[in-house]
Amino acid sequence: MVSLQAYLIVSLILLITGLVIMISRKNIVAILLGIELILNSAALNFVAYSKYTTNNLDGHIFSLFIIVIAAAEAAVGLAIVIRFFQIKETIHIDEVSELREEIAR
Amino acid sequence: MFINILFFSASALVIASCALMMWTKNLMHSCVYLLGVLIGVAGLYLTLGADFVAATQIMVYVGGVVILMLFAVMLTGGKDFQSKTQQLLNLLPSMGNKYTFMWGGGVGLVFAGCLTYFFMHLFKVIKVQEIDNNSYSPTIEKLGELLVTDHLVAFELSSVLLLGALVGAAIIARPRKERPAYIDDIEHDHHHDEEHH
Repeated sequence: MVSLQAYLIVSLILLITGLVIMISRKNIVAILLGIELILNSAALNFVAYSKYTTNNLDGHIFSLFIIVIAAAEAAVGLAIVIRFFQIKETIHIDEVSELREEIAR
Repeated sequence: MFINILFFSASALVIASCALMMWTKNLMHSCVYLLGVLIGVAGLYLTLGADFVAATQIMVYVGGVVILMLFAVMLTGGKDFQSKTQQLLNLLPSMGNKYTFMWGGGVGLVFAGCLTYFFMHLFKVIKVQEIDNNSYSPTIEKLGELLVTDHLVAFELSSVLLLGALVGAAIIARPRKERPAYIDDIEHDHHHDEEHH
């Protein structure tokens, strides 16, 4: 039987990796990848605690909602990234300040 | 015993893919390593007896989100974009050089140390009571009942959220509209008329 702490350590590694990717990368898509890792670690924590400390399945429900929210976040975030790339021709995070294009007259 | 083998192989897959995802410079490879992480987390769900969550993880993440990420990487080039201020950026932590991993790794280590320290402290006080839950049974039926009884509001709200995300993404990412030529003609005529009067 695997203990709860083993799952928590794996989840901690996922969280730290996502945080390091979010800090160290300068590409917006890479930052979104780091956010996916952090959301996965939270969902893993919910399911692990649901198995080891309770008898119900509420943790599974929360994990499902986290997956749904991550999908919505990825869709909207990538739409914003692609829109920004159409306007500014770059997705470097330091260049991001506005989503409005120049009005060509 | 089988659970132990599955747990260790899945967590090894997760940790190795995480390390490679941090290490590689190519965003395309990073997306493929994210695939390994997600499949490993699905295996961890299986060891926890969460069959429906594991299936959803595979379908939504591996079938949807990673493909979306790959499309975004391919549409935007996925390179380490060097801008005009390249000399300044070389001093600051940028994508994929040694300063980057020095800063990121330092912050990660400090954060991990703080988290483990505080959580150790917390566990000593609260004492999580582990129950001996060693049975594995299908969860789909109970999950379906829970979704339409206890968590009905969140279920409906998540459907509204998905609809909003769909419409919002379609509106935000729509192609750029060119300014039609006839608008210029109309305005030009308008000015012309004003000058006459």
